[in-house]
Amino acid sequence: MRGKQFERSRWTRLLRHAAVILAVMLAAGTLFVWSGVYNVAASDDHWALTNWLIERVRVRSVATWSAFVDAPPPLEDPDLVGLGAAHFEGACTPCHSRPGDPRNAIVAAMLPPPPPLSRSVPELDTSEIFWIVKHGLKFTAMPAWPSRQRDDEVWAVTAFLLRLPDMSQQGYLEASGVTRAGGTPKSDAELAQSNESLSLTECVRCHGDASRPPLADLIPVLNGQPRAYLERALDEYAARQRESGIMQPVSSLLRPYERRRIAGWYAGLEAPPKAREESRAMRAPAGNDRTADRSEAIERGRTLAHEGDREQGLPPCLACHAGRHPENFPTLAGQSAAYLESQLRVFRGDARNASGYGEIMTVVARRLTPRQIGDVARFFASLPPGDAPAPAEHAR
Amino acid sequence: MTSPGRRRLAATAPAAVAGMFAAGCSGVQSALEPAGREAAHIDELFIGVTAFCTLVFVAVFAAAGVALFGGRGLRARLANDRVVIGGGIVFPMVALSVLLGLAVYVMSFGGSAGRGTGLRLHVDEAMASEAARESGLAIAVSGERWWWRVTYVLPDGRRFESANELRLPVGEPVPVLLTSPDVIHSFWVPKLAGKLDMIPGRVNTQTITATEPGVSRGQCAEYCGGAHALMAFYVVAMPPDEFSAWLAREAGPAAATGAAEERGQALFMRYGCTGCHAVRGTGARGTIGPDLTHVGSRYSLGAGILPNDAAAFARWIRDNQHLKPENLMPPFEIFTDAELGELAAYLEHLE
Repeated sequence: MRGKQFERSRWTRLLRHAAVILAVMLAAGTLFVWSGVYNVAASDDHWALTNWLIERVRVRSVATWSAFVDAPPPLEDPDLVGLGAAHFEGACTPCHSRPGDPRNAIVAAMLPPPPPLSRSVPELDTSEIFWIVKHGLKFTAMPAWPSRQRDDEVWAVTAFLLRLPDMSQQGYLEASGVTRAGGTPKSDAELAQSNESLSLTECVRCHGDASRPPLADLIPVLNGQPRAYLERALDEYAARQRESGIMQPVSSLLRPYERRRIAGWYAGLEAPPKAREESRAMRAPAGNDRTADRSEAIERGRTLAHEGDREQGLPPCLACHAGRHPENFPTLAGQSAAYLESQLRVFRGDARNASGYGEIMTVVARRLTPRQIGDVARFFASLPPGDAPAPAEHAR
Repeated sequence: MTSPGRRRLAATAPAAVAGMFAAGCSGVQSALEPAGREAAHIDELFIGVTAFCTLVFVAVFAAAGVALFGGRGLRARLANDRVVIGGGIVFPMVALSVLLGLAVYVMSFGGSAGRGTGLRLHVDEAMASEAARESGLAIAVSGERWWWRVTYVLPDGRRFESANELRLPVGEPVPVLLTSPDVIHSFWVPKLAGKLDMIPGRVNTQTITATEPGVSRGQCAEYCGGAHALMAFYVVAMPPDEFSAWLAREAGPAAATGAAEERGQALFMRYGCTGCHAVRGTGARGTIGPDLTHVGSRYSLGAGILPNDAAAFARWIRDNQHLKPENLMPPFEIFTDAELGELAAYLEHLE
């Protein structure tokens, strides 16, 4: 009887103490936040303990969440690396700098400062690199990929980053197209006026011009495309109707009149020289076709492009993409097989069906089998650049 | 006991109910208003069986009434062995046998046993030509998702396509060859004949003989996917001379394009419509979707779901995925209202 009473009073006392401690802690916390004593200045580094804790949380989080990343495409593909390098130069170097360049003074004052990638990349798994490029990192300035639908683009940057630590400065400048873009302004006065160092909107660096082909086969040839199509593409990127983490940022930096002029310029441009054409047309996206297989694939693609397939509900490609096709449809002849194949795969998802035109192609692309995608891509790549002739039965 | 109000209700209710049912008996899709020889047989069978069943029903209830409330003499007569054996065993056996015979007899009209053609997507050409030679005309109908591909086959081997509408000469039996490229449908025009399934890899033949000119409506009668309920068609029975004239016109190319339709035609030719649709006499030779050579002369659009006018053409081109979800045509939201008007004008003029 007595023991029990003693027990009860002990528990009551304990509870009362706990409540008091909790209330004091709450009040102290409130006071701390209200007083503004904590210094959020980026000029003031974290305590060593805080830094250690933040880093542990980051490392563990990236390791756990990247476990769910899908299997990568073949990352040694030079076109994938080329596309990644081209985008890195435009979008990543403002913070991460080109290899070998000193860190920009503004960027160096960030907290945390963006790490030199040639040192931090080797510490990460491939899937961890992909995950960070796709999702970004909270509490740092690392942004997520602008489009959630374009893992293919994220893989391109991943493929490039894997190569980055072993890349020489000159190797990087060539791979990313810096060596062929812009050049130095003509006069001192021009140099003084045009201090623009942004390489994101240098179309020619990646897409080439009349004398140079695109930097990689995954980058489309724009020369000779209908002007209305190019303008529509840029407008759809800017309006975020067409998904792309690479082209949306470029397009939204261009004013409407700039988009019109660039579209008009490329529309009037001759196809790039024949030098790489053979290899572009003939090279398989994965780069390991045998010649016989390739010509068989081209023939199958030709049949599909001319006749379609009634059983699969596939109209002939050339019903829209040939001859007198409207200005709003792209020309496919002479485009690289790798690019066409990648875009057909993009169409099968939900990345290009936000516009009326994209809706139509999405329906058709979803009816194609993976083999047929390869076949028609190789067929159009095998044609000389320019308008594919309309098949007889569709001409009028 | 019964109040006057209740008596009046009791008197009028059967008439009201009968009126309700009768209202459902008329119309373009009523099996009780037959306009074809095969449907007439079905109608006779239906009337006969219903009358017979009504008699049996009344007799059984009368016997039950006697058994419960009848006088001693009546009940004794009902319990007689001869009545029990005759009414309980012999009569049902005879009645059911007669019914079975009648059913088999009626089934021989119209429908015929199916014939396998191997895994072929469309009606066997030789088979259709043979049927056409025998009957002077054969019509092959393929159930697509979700519309009807209609091919007229003439004895001389000529054949041409139409869609979502059948025309028949009054008084002449026409074999209709039914199949499907992918899923099972059922072809049913209640006013003209019974229903018959359209089965992939197999051709079922139904003979239809229209007995009077007029329009009947048909409907897919086997669930075939999301838009099953939106898969209807019209059958137009015409006097034989009118039919021949129509057939000659229908077999010909599309109407010449006037200045008003030229812009619409140019859009049709350039924007990919030709990849799926044919317009005979032009460069459009697609075979995936319905043949549009004479689409302007049909009773309906979209397989019986829209009237045939310019506004409906424009709606279908732009909003077809809302009108008939998951149909195989992509939505064409790329046209301006003016362009849609031009396209609609072109298609409407294809009579």
